[in-house]
This record gives sequence, C-alpha cells and structure tokens, in this order.
Amino acid sequence: MTNDENKEGIGGMANPRRYGIERVAYLLMRLSGLGLLAYFVAHIYETSNILRGQVGWNEFLELTQTTGGHIFLAIVIGMCVFHTVNGVRVMLGHGGVGVGKPARPDYPYDPASQNYRHKIGIYSAIVLAAVAMMYGLAVMFGE
Amino acid sequence: MRESTIMKIHYGTALAAVALVAVHILMRLTTGFVESLEYENVLANYKFVPYAAMLELILILLAVHGFNGLRVILLELKQGRMYEKAVSYGCLVAMFGLIAYGSNTIIRTNMGMT
Repeated sequence: MTNDENKEGIGGMANPRRYGIERVAYLLMRLSGLGLLAYFVAHIYETSNILRGQVGWNEFLELTQTTGGHIFLAIVIGMCVFHTVNGVRVMLGHGGVGVGKPARPDYPYDPASQNYRHKIGIYSAIVLAAVAMMYGLAVMFGE
Repeated sequence: MRESTIMKIHYGTALAAVALVAVHILMRLTTGFVESLEYENVLANYKFVPYAAMLELILILLAVHGFNGLRVILLELKQGRMYEKAVSYGCLVAMFGLIAYGSNTIIRTNMGMT
C-alpha cells in the first residue's frame, strides 16, 4: 500500500466503527466543538442586535424564540454538556489520572489507558448531555 | 509558542469558561426564561458593570478556546509548513475579529449607545 492509499483524510478521522467508544468520544468531541464554535459566533452576532434598539432586538428574538429555535438550543445544550464533561475526562487523562499504571505489554495488548474508568466517563458525558437537553426543553417549552 | 504551553492555555480557558458560562446561564433562570430575554432585562444586564465585565471575559476565554480548538482539528487533518502557518494565523485573526466585534456590542451597550 502506498502512502497516498493509506491516507483516509476526514473519513478516517470520522469513522466511529473502529477502536470502540473512545473513537466515538473523539468524534463527538470534535463535532460538538465545531458546533459550539459555530453557535458562539452566531450568538455574538445575535446579541449584537441589541445595538439596533428595542425594535431590532424584538425582531431578532421572534426568529430565535420559536419551536425550531428551542430545539436547536436544546441540541446546543447537549453539545455543551458533552463537550464539558468529556473535556474534563480528557484533561484528567492527560494529567495521568485514571489511565492505570505502566506495565509490560502482554498479549492481547489492551491499552491500559482505555480502561473502565474512562469508559464510564464517556458514557456519563452522554447521559448527562441527554439529561441537560431534557431539562433545557422543559425550561424553554414550560413557559 | 510551544504546543505544551498552548494546550495549558486551552485547558485553562476551558475550566474558567465553564465556571463563568454557568453564571451566565443561571442569570437566564433567575427570572423566567422568556422574561430574562426581554429588551429591558438584557439592557440592564449589559449596564451592570460587573456582569458586562464577566461577558467580556467569557468572550475572550471562549474565543481563545474555540479558535485554538479549530486550529488543532485543522492541523490533525493536514500538515505542512505553509498550511500550518496559514491555519494558525487565520485562527488568530478570526479570534481577534470576533473579540473586537463582541467587545463593540458590550462596550457600546454598557455606555448606553444603543
């Protein structure tokens, strides 16, 4: 296989079917990061409408305070919570917390760092994101 | 700047932003969600100097964290001297642009220039 054939590009980075839940977390971390950055830029633009006075602010609010707007915001809440909780897990891992002790690599060569502690962290991030989305929807549609 | 230093900044801005964004969201829940977004309420938020200062801090922290995150993702995809320089400087310019745009809103609203 030549070097070029071995390059999978974005497809290779995004493929969640290999390497288990850790690869899914890696993919979700990047997708949620990009989503949150896009939302952040849009939010800065959205809030700048206050400079247009009460009429301008209310006009823009009419666009965002809709059912679609609330669902979109719930997705943003989910991305935010997942990114935060998984980010803390990644930071702890980089600091050496929960990655296990160094040991001689023996067959079947399971990486010590990909252990149950970090798997629990990833699943917790997904569950907490879902709970936060439900709470956000309850707050937004509850009024 | 060394990548290890950049990653420390990345993690530092993340932790600080989590705390401040939590306060920012809780402010939306002090009154009803819809009520908190009314023009008078939002204007009062901006005119309260400590809150405006916190918004400015969130703006800087998230812009630094967000655009450095974008830089990291883009550098994972492709490498090369020119490409890496273009991505790094492009993200830096976008970051400063967003901070300038957001600061303009915060400062002008705080000073009553709406």
